[in-house]
Amino acid sequence: MSPPKGKSRTIFRVIGIKSFVHREIDCHVMTFEGIDRRRFLLLAAAPLLAAQKAATPRVRESMLQMNGYAVNAETPLALLTDYVTPNELFFVRSHWIPRTPDPKKWSLTIDGEVERPAQLTLSDLKKLPRAEATCVLQCAGNGRGLYAPTVPGVQWRYGAAGNARWSGVRVRDVLERAGVKATAKHLHVFGSDVPPGKVPPFQRSIEMEKVLADGILAFSMNGEPLPVIHGAPLRLIVPGWAGDHWMKWVVRLSPQAESQKGFYMETAYRYPLTVGAPGVAFKPEEMSPVTELFVKSNITTAPRKAKAGHAYEIRGFAFSGSPDIAKVEISDDDGATWSEASLDPRHDPYAWRLWSHRWTPSRADAARLCARATDINGHTQPRDAAWNQSGYLHNSWHFVDIEVTA
Amino acid sequence: MKRVLMIMFALALAAAAKKHATYDPTLPILGTKFHSLPAGNGRQLVEASCLPCHSPDILVQQRLTEKQWTATVDKMVRWGAVLKDTDKPAVVAYLSKNFGVTNSFTPAKTRPVGY
Repeated sequence: MSPPKGKSRTIFRVIGIKSFVHREIDCHVMTFEGIDRRRFLLLAAAPLLAAQKAATPRVRESMLQMNGYAVNAETPLALLTDYVTPNELFFVRSHWIPRTPDPKKWSLTIDGEVERPAQLTLSDLKKLPRAEATCVLQCAGNGRGLYAPTVPGVQWRYGAAGNARWSGVRVRDVLERAGVKATAKHLHVFGSDVPPGKVPPFQRSIEMEKVLADGILAFSMNGEPLPVIHGAPLRLIVPGWAGDHWMKWVVRLSPQAESQKGFYMETAYRYPLTVGAPGVAFKPEEMSPVTELFVKSNITTAPRKAKAGHAYEIRGFAFSGSPDIAKVEISDDDGATWSEASLDPRHDPYAWRLWSHRWTPSRADAARLCARATDINGHTQPRDAAWNQSGYLHNSWHFVDIEVTA
Repeated sequence: MKRVLMIMFALALAAAAKKHATYDPTLPILGTKFHSLPAGNGRQLVEASCLPCHSPDILVQQRLTEKQWTATVDKMVRWGAVLKDTDKPAVVAYLSKNFGVTNSFTPAKTRPVGY
């Protein structure tokens, strides 16, 4: 592969900004006379800025670009160690370059099977009771790149998942205000993004029962205004269900008797109803829309090299389409024997559980650790995820190789 | 006025602290162009028909058989990709040769989102 093209220009720009800031600060330190208030503030900030710069980071933060436009990026697994994933480290999945609505002109249309169709502004929404959920968002295709035989699409590995605190209002409150009828069984959801050419629009529907029970229309993420890249001004939150339901840039909700039609309901985002042979494609009618997440755990923290007889802390996260994880187990003998990891006490329904495990390798050899989770409904993570032609819901055991020396 | 300035100062410091988070500032921003397509017959056709809607990343990370590439190209043509029927074999051959099942890909590291 040829060297990155735009890289040198980006670096140049960053260094330019940094040296400008530092030069200005140095300059003020040297010329203390005639200092005005603004300059004083800059001067006072200088040691703090320097201290910030000198602070040795715990782990250098970064993202992994899966596509430049539309932006798709996954989080390096080693950075997914916090209960709440920071916004700037949260994976990004976009079907195409969004047409972001202007929040001042934005309104949410409610139509379909309702007594009182409505247009709601953000301030209308904010008058409703607040609702909040801390839960996992995982792209339906997270782990697609790990399937064999290989399948087309963004080759996500581990990091298209994160756990965030989503705040907004309940879908139930919004729809009840509009007088949703009993005939409505599916909520059709529309975003402001428009695909290029003849590409079908990304339109989805979701069973009314699920969305009335758990759905949130979020305008805040981790206590900050929802970032545009994550769907501002409004995103649908569907705890426990895959990311294809978590529509961004929402502009219209339409309760209907029937489910939505179109490519993204009838062809894409479908998962086989039965287990088939790897590499053999299923017909659309042999599949149904991806809904609940599958039970899964990943190892985020493990040494690359270890010494026999020394203890190491292995850490990771686990989540499921069920509201909680019952246990996470670790094996260093390819699943012959398992030890139970400690679950972190922090938890919310459909959030992930962080876990840790003290592991002491017994002898010098190549060791292979793996983790498997079991949820509170008794689903246990399989050794091998069931192959499907679109590469959805990968949840095979996660193996990590460690070189153990004497 | 003093209080306003104090608040502004605190906000500026908070912003500075955030901007000096623990990322490596030499990393490129998300959305940077990282990959050029390898030379070879069909490259220009691929650039003209695929890159209006996809950045090269999505092409160079695929590991597909000729059959899968054919199905993918057909789908994209249905969806509006500009590609003559007579040029399709060259495009499929180029993609299958360069991004076949044995292809390997390591995603480029960028700064955190929004930096």
